[in-house]
Order: sequence, then C-alpha cells, then structure tokens
Amino acid sequence: MTTPSKIVTNDALADSEPHFVAPGLVDASGPEPRLVAGKCKACGALSFPKAVVCPACLSQDIAAAHLASEGMLYSFATVHQAPKNWIVPYHLGYVDLTDGIRVLAHVEGTPRIEAKVKLGVARVGTAADGTALMSYVFTPVA
Amino acid sequence: MGKSMSKAYVLGTGMIPFGKFPDRTLADIGWPSLREAVLESGVPTSSIDAIYCGSALGGMMSGQRVAKAIGLSGMPIVNVENACSSSSSAIAQACNAIAAGKYDTVAVVGVEKLTKFGGGTLPLENEDWEVTQGMVMPALYAMRANRYMHEFGLTPKQLGEVSVKAHDHGALNPNAQIRKRVTIEEVMAARPVAGPFTLWHCCPTGDGSAALILASQKVAKKHKPAAVHVAASEVTSGKYTNGYRDMTVAELTVRGSHEAYEMAGIAPNDIDVAEIHDAFTIAELMYYEAFGWAKKGEAYQLLSSGATSLGGKIPVNPSGGLLSRGHPVGATGAAQAVEIVRQLEGRAGKHQVEGAKIGLTHATGGGIAGFDHGACSIHIFAK
Ligand SMILES: [Zn+2]
Repeated sequence: MTTPSKIVTNDALADSEPHFVAPGLVDASGPEPRLVAGKCKACGALSFPKAVVCPACLSQDIAAAHLASEGMLYSFATVHQAPKNWIVPYHLGYVDLTDGIRVLAHVEGTPRIEAKVKLGVARVGTAADGTALMSYVFTPVA
Repeated sequence: MGKSMSKAYVLGTGMIPFGKFPDRTLADIGWPSLREAVLESGVPTSSIDAIYCGSALGGMMSGQRVAKAIGLSGMPIVNVENACSSSSSAIAQACNAIAAGKYDTVAVVGVEKLTKFGGGTLPLENEDWEVTQGMVMPALYAMRANRYMHEFGLTPKQLGEVSVKAHDHGALNPNAQIRKRVTIEEVMAARPVAGPFTLWHCCPTGDGSAALILASQKVAKKHKPAAVHVAASEVTSGKYTNGYRDMTVAELTVRGSHEAYEMAGIAPNDIDVAEIHDAFTIAELMYYEAFGWAKKGEAYQLLSSGATSLGGKIPVNPSGGLLSRGHPVGATGAAQAVEIVRQLEGRAGKHQVEGAKIGLTHATGGGIAGFDHGACSIHIFAK
C-alpha cells in the first residue's frame, strides 16, 4: 500500500495558500479540523453536508453543527485512475462516524476495514494552476 | 401490467455492434438501430404514435436528432435520462403508455456516445459532494467488493472469474465491444483501476445504440401474432440515507426484483436467461443474490458451478454483459431488451440459450451520495 499524501502542517498551509476542494464541509479554523454538518432545529435530524432544507421535516431552520471526528472504516478502495487534479493512487473510504453519519473521505496511511480512524486535514491534489488542493482525511488510529 | 389486454408486445428489435465511434455523430450512432427495429417490425413509419429515447449524456433532443435521420418526426418524442437505466426507463414509459391505451405503436431507442469525453472514468456530477472528494464509479463498486470479500471470504481471483465468464460469452456475440476471451491470469495481471479491480473487472466505455418497436395486443395480432410480450416493467429509485448502509446488499435491486416477479407472477427460478448490470465484477455476484438465485454470501458458488454460464441452469449475460458487450450508459437497457427478445425468439446465434421462454433485463446505476444507486429498471419478457 502506498501513502499518497502527507499531513500538511499549519506552516505549510500558510506557505502554499492551499485551497479546500469543498470548503463548506470542513471547519479548519480551530486547533483541530471539524466536519460541518447541519442539525435541524425543528426535529434534530443531522445532515451532512449541511442541508438547506431538512429532508426529515422540511424545516429550513438548520443550525451548523460539528460531526464526531472518530469512526470506523466501513470499506475502502485504492483509486489508480481518477480525473486529473487528484494525486493517484489514493485510498477512498466510507467512515462510519460515532454519531451515526457515514462520510466518504480520503484515507491516509494503510487502510484496514473496521479500523478505528480519526479526522485530519491533508493535501489530496493539485489544481491546474499548481495550488495545493486540501481536504479532510481520515487516518487509522494505531 | 397483468391484464392481457394491456400488455406490450415486441414487434421489432435493432442494435449496432457496440464500440468506439468518435467520428460518428450521436444521430449516426442511433439511427441504424431504429431503422432495423422499424423494418423488422413491418410497421409503417406513419403508424408510430410516439418515441421514447433513453440517453444519459447525449445532450438535448437526442431522440429528435436520431429519429429525423430516418424521417420520423412530428409525433410526441420524449427524451428520458436516468443514468444507466435511461433506455430501460424509456421502455417502461412506452409500456405504461400502451397499458393505459394512450398509444398502439411506440418506438424506443437507447443511444450514447461516450467517446466524446475522451476516455477515462465516466464523468460524474460535480455538484455531488462525494465527487468533490474524489469519488469515481469504479471506487464505489470497489468498496462494495472489498466489504463483500471482508465479510464472506471471497478472493480477488474468484472475483476475477466473473470477467472470464463474461468474455467467454462475449467472444460469441458479434454485437459485443470486446470479442476476446481472457484468462484469469490476464485478469489478475492487468493494470489496476480501483483496488481490487484491474482493467478486466471494469466495463469498457464506448458508444452504441439499440431500439425496439413495442405495440398493443391489437397491433401485435396484425403484424406478429407470436410476438414476445412484456410480463413485467418496473422502475424504482434508490432510498436516500446519510447514515450507515450494508453495501453487500443491492437494496434497490432487491426491491425492484420483488416488484417485477410479482407483476409477472413468477418466482426467481422461473427465469431462463438474464441480462443484468455487471458494470464491475462484484455487481454480477451481488445481483445473483438480489434476484434470489443465490443465498447471501453464496454467489460465487453459483458462478463456479457453471449455472450462470451458457449451457447452465440460468445463463446470465449470454451477450457478454456490460463487461464484454459494452456499456454505452443510456443504450444499455435497450440493448439488454434486444438481446433477451432475440434469445426468446431463438435467434441469438452462437450464444443462444436453448429453449429460453422467460428472460429478465436489469439496468441500474447513477452514483449519487447517500444512495445504493439512483435508479433501477427491471423488465421480464415472455414468449
Ligand atoms: Zn427536521
């Protein structure tokens, strides 16, 4: 198994002015990155990505909420052929978070089904202009 | 469906060999199939009441562009987009319209030109958040495969045998895109696409078209009294969740197959021949279980017994399936229907399933976050 990308330090983030592939999905402003979900104020349903309208009760009153940052790797695939911008090969997996949400994510290190994984941020690709493309990733916890 | 008065009958079929035709327009890929189906049906073009065209990526007015090439215009033409189920969904629209008594004679065409994208994996919708994280279709199926292998002990080599079987069949089919047998060693040694899949675990991209003329019993009696009829026609969509999901169960196909068997009044073992959506090797095995031909976790035993090969109890994908015949997305459902109708009429040639009387088609797909698949359409045809 290969390790397609490195965890980028805060210094490196500042230097390369990285660009998040989907900025709305992750809050990287604090010391630890968090996934941004929606929590319906009317019925409490969680949505990820944060919904504009609640699919459970149709309310539009939805607050931002952070998802759990730990979970279990349900399955993964090692992608060798992908649209340009991505650094191949990369591991893509479904992570079952402890709060009941399943998220798709790049997986760093050596993925193993049912491994406990933890949220981080890493470089996952390169934009056409050379800018680093960042996203949230999960890494198996030793 | 169900009442004999409202059944749809198949009067004509048409199909071009699937392949890569970058120099042909979508219309030029489509019209030869439609022409063949019209001529085979014996129905005058003036009596075609409506046309349903299935295409996923053909662009606006695909049906009008194809039909005008053979002088068909002026009737209602409706373009149906439902990803891999586009032309099977178009067949379902035609069946519904005939069942409702709205039309007597309807043409269906499925057409696609994937070479216009220049190769690689199928372009997905960038508004989908999973696509923003690097989702590609092979990865979705590869995750199913890895989980299935984890739970049931299937090996990559056993998985590869699906591809060997597909190409054994496709080598006999003049309409197949890949008419070449492969060995298990070649499957295992090919270039990796999305682990555990190598190239031979994945359907090729390409271009193609297929067409059918469907008619009411009244018209069928006049033109083709012994015509194959549609015993079940169903379309359903995936159920959304952003929670956990068992990826080793093809939930959408399980639901759709129950509906289809009930409409046709038959059981899983009544199927003599089937064309199912083997976009990737794992899909064929999961669908054996979804259709009730194998118990959970035992699909490989069915494959290795030879039951799903030509000459077996229930040959699956005698055409070579998506892996070998090819998968020009929107054309697939119509191509499966053409194949099954010709099987039931005993004119499939070297890949004929002897004595087949009941056949099934199944096209499902559309990668959307939170769904098993976006759409699924199943048809059962009978003599
Ligand atoms: Zn709600």
